[in-house]
Amino acid sequence: MSASQQHPASSPRPARQADPGLCACGSQLRRLRCCEMNLAAQASGEAGRHLLPLVERAVQAHRHGAIETAETLCLDVLELAPTQPGALQVLYSIRKAQGAMRAAEALIRRMVALDPNNLWATNEIALLLMGKGSLAEAEIHARNAVRIAPENAQSHNLMGMILTEQQRPAVGEYHYRRVLALSGARDPIVLANLAWNLKTQGKMEEARALYEESTTAAPQVLQTLLGWARLEEVDRNFDLALALLDRAEQIAPGNPSVLLARAVALGRKREYEKALATLDSIASQSRDGSLGPNELLEKGRLLDQMGRYGEAFAAFEEGKRKAREVSGHAYLAEHAAQLAERLQRFFTTGRLKLIPRANPAEGVAQPLFILGFPRSGTTLVEQTLSAHPAIAAGDELPFITEITSIMPKMFDSPLAYPEALAELWMGDHREGLDNLRDYYLQKSRQLGLLRQDARWFTDKMPLNETHLGLIGLLFPRSPMIHVLRHPLDIITSAFSNHMTHGFFCSYALESAARHYVLVMDLVEHYRREMTLRYMTIRYEDIVDAQETSVRRMLAFTGEEFDPSCLRFEENRRYARTASYAQVTEKLYDRSRFRYRHYLDQLAPVIPILAPVIERLGYQI
Amino acid sequence: MNQISALPDDRQSIPADRGALSQAPADPRMIPSAPAPADATIMVPVPLADLFRIANEYEQAGRLDDAAALLRRMLAVAPLQPDALHLSGIVAFRQGRMEEAADLVEQAIAHGVNTPLYYRNICTIYERLGRHQEAVIAGRRAVELDPCDPHALHNLTVVYYRLLELDESIACARRAIALDPTLPGPHFALAEALLLRGEFAEGWAEYEWRYQIPGAAQMMPKTDRPQWDGTALPAGQRLMLVADQGFGDVIQFGRMIPWVAARCPTLSLACSRELQPLMRQMLPGLDVFDRWDDRPDFAAYCPLSGLPRLYGVRLGNIPGGVPYLQADPSRAAAWRARLAGLAPPGYRRVGLVWAGRPTHNNDINRSAALAEFAPLAAVDGVALVSLQKGPAQAQTGAYYGRAQLLNVSAEIEDFEDTAAIIAGLDLLVTVDTSVAHLAGAMGRPVWVLLPHAPDWRWLLDRADTPWYPSMRLFRQRVPRNWSMVMGEIAAALAALPRQGEPQTPQ
Repeated sequence: MSASQQHPASSPRPARQADPGLCACGSQLRRLRCCEMNLAAQASGEAGRHLLPLVERAVQAHRHGAIETAETLCLDVLELAPTQPGALQVLYSIRKAQGAMRAAEALIRRMVALDPNNLWATNEIALLLMGKGSLAEAEIHARNAVRIAPENAQSHNLMGMILTEQQRPAVGEYHYRRVLALSGARDPIVLANLAWNLKTQGKMEEARALYEESTTAAPQVLQTLLGWARLEEVDRNFDLALALLDRAEQIAPGNPSVLLARAVALGRKREYEKALATLDSIASQSRDGSLGPNELLEKGRLLDQMGRYGEAFAAFEEGKRKAREVSGHAYLAEHAAQLAERLQRFFTTGRLKLIPRANPAEGVAQPLFILGFPRSGTTLVEQTLSAHPAIAAGDELPFITEITSIMPKMFDSPLAYPEALAELWMGDHREGLDNLRDYYLQKSRQLGLLRQDARWFTDKMPLNETHLGLIGLLFPRSPMIHVLRHPLDIITSAFSNHMTHGFFCSYALESAARHYVLVMDLVEHYRREMTLRYMTIRYEDIVDAQETSVRRMLAFTGEEFDPSCLRFEENRRYARTASYAQVTEKLYDRSRFRYRHYLDQLAPVIPILAPVIERLGYQI
Repeated sequence: MNQISALPDDRQSIPADRGALSQAPADPRMIPSAPAPADATIMVPVPLADLFRIANEYEQAGRLDDAAALLRRMLAVAPLQPDALHLSGIVAFRQGRMEEAADLVEQAIAHGVNTPLYYRNICTIYERLGRHQEAVIAGRRAVELDPCDPHALHNLTVVYYRLLELDESIACARRAIALDPTLPGPHFALAEALLLRGEFAEGWAEYEWRYQIPGAAQMMPKTDRPQWDGTALPAGQRLMLVADQGFGDVIQFGRMIPWVAARCPTLSLACSRELQPLMRQMLPGLDVFDRWDDRPDFAAYCPLSGLPRLYGVRLGNIPGGVPYLQADPSRAAAWRARLAGLAPPGYRRVGLVWAGRPTHNNDINRSAALAEFAPLAAVDGVALVSLQKGPAQAQTGAYYGRAQLLNVSAEIEDFEDTAAIIAGLDLLVTVDTSVAHLAGAMGRPVWVLLPHAPDWRWLLDRADTPWYPSMRLFRQRVPRNWSMVMGEIAAALAALPRQGEPQTPQ
């Protein structure tokens, strides 16, 4: 979440005419003047300079709120000169305000393609892409914006927002501070954005002070109050969070985001009935009388806490159905299977004998990998271990996945990962893994993870075990702690939370189970073929015998036992994942074998999971 | 005697008399001879007896799928035909479908009329299935029906050995030998029982029959040179030793190479490449080769496994000071450093080998599954180190025990690596494999899990062995049930002093 300012959206207007020649993106331009246009063949914007008076009228009309006039003028201009930048800009603004995001995206992409140095357009596309969750692509444009205008505050603001969302908050913080320095002012929105960034780094006090400063300067900004309320909820100041939400409610009565945040805070106070009533009020205000995906999942979790399991699962199912409908996401089964097959084919004992391992980097903290399927207990393990003075918390680091993307480029390979590792057999790439190791460490350094007093920093990116072999090559001395939990508990929990990991597997119960099996098979393959510094720890054992489990993990890491690890709930660090609330409570066994309440609903996935359940030594 | 190899075994032949099988069933029915081509309109009927004869020939020729297909067609027409049921059982046995084999031969017995051959063969099928009591009953019935059948007595010898009823086993073997002194199987079975009891004098003599067992691997190409009799050869005459049998045997009997060299200084050793570095440790400058084409001229030969007889090994005079094998110091140092980087500091490093070569005739009894070692994995302060090679190595992927399991097997290239790793372990826990012998020969602490009826070399009822002083034996109480043994080992491991304390496990 970031406190970027968004224009209030108005409803898209109906199409002027049901013309099949109009572009499917919704721009209301003809297809051949829009998405099916050959941009390279178009004359430059100069060719339409005789239309400039019309463009000027469109700009003025738009500025004065005569949207329909502005829109008509733009469509007329673009019919004659489809690359006219002024008309594209006005029409983009109109479509964006209408919520016609597909059309807006098509138009702004066209503007950037026509003029890559257009700072405004570059900023806009970065913002738009960030809004739809395409963070990697948004980052490309945000970086371009900084390249175009290195002293432009808005460009740095975008970088700050995107990198914060990308879970690289330390880099994001740098850019926010650049915004403040370049602007020479304490803009309340930037302060709120920086506050949110600091919250994700666990710097709660500084974040709180910034929120206070921001709301003093601009007390009526909804996003700022929402962000601050979230900080207080995370920091277990539930009453303060609710008070902030009261203020937000006054600004935007009935706002669904405010109500959802209130339901979450109430749930954490264990005021389940009130929380449910709050969610119901969202439903009653919505157009179709129903909740959105996030609200439904929250409702399901509340019902689960209340022991109303049948209703809870129904809410999860409906939430996931809506999530699929809204996002269009579904498990990319074929991609996942292909990757697994290629990894198994490449990582074999015979090949691995020929691949040199990266040399350990001396004198700096080393990564400690906490592996596991989402919802298996990796956050708990990280909170536990990072309470140790020699272990810093790194959270979910995206660098291993990034390395799989940049590897072909770094190795000058025509092949993709993992086949690109074959370049290591060439004389000029024998030290290629050292370079990739340095990339990982440099990125970690930018996040401030290489603490002087720490020997380790954790990386608990879920499903990093997919790349266990690569991790073993890059960091052969790094401990890998694989957190196991009853697969049916994992799948139940994954189904009750929103997540996109694992090729969108958790958008449906069956695909979550299938991906779990695929990943476990892959892990077993790596373990057969390679010598790894690898151990398993069971979530259930941590609950049953906490100290023994903690001692085992620390001994495996090579660290002395430290009693503070037993009081992980006092670790004030904020975990960014869905488990943040659980890890601030003392160990409890409520989450252990929770699947038993859902056996009927889980029946379709039990045959899928049964073999691995047996191998893991669990029972149903 | 028309000997069949229906149930082959390199140590314990399963003498099923094919004479009975070759009698065509007197069944006048006809069935289609073979699947008709798509365009055929006429099917040629073939007498059932002919079909059975063909199936029998297929089975003898090793064309088991063809035999099974024909037998299925026969049984579709004559489902209770006992010879077809019996032969189907034999085929199923040879294809490894043991339960099905037992079921088919049981049906043959139910529908046959006291055919001794059926009982004789089902005795061995039951033995392989671990159904030893049923095997005894069937074996006795076979002998009762045909008291002059030495093969039935031989089968019974083997079953009694599995049950450690050695008096019975030896008695059956002697009766079989009396009936046919030329049969190698009973001689070898007798040797194993005698050696297991420590009766080495007669045992070594009977042990010499091993190369005559049908299907046994030939030790070496045919030669007109004599087998060495243990006396010194004239100066300059070369003795060729042959590293025969399994890797473990070579390591165990390799200790006698210096004794041989004292009598025959001109010495060569035919030895597989894997073991050559270890065997060179037995005698500096020893001439070793692994291709028969490279063999030097020699005056006499001797298998390593024949040396104990020539030496006159008895329980009290086992030669060779242990340790007689060492790890290469630089490799050992490298592996020690590698293990230190992988295992928790201060944890006891316990090597594991849970399975032997799957083609070994007694593998079903001697090998375990990694998952069965769970009690060891639950002992605090232990890091397990897998030295397992071969197909069973795959089990490391699905290991989810409590203790860390270091799968270093993937990086083991040869026996020198294995020795180097053993040198850095606090303890090796292994089933009866060559790695046990290697650790024993190195004088390293090694605990060996033995099946209920162990190989003869581990003797009876003792936790130690005169062959290797650093070895401790854990014996299975119930055939094919490792749970009690694992419990004992886990308890013994937990009782060991923590690392840093002076005692070493024994």
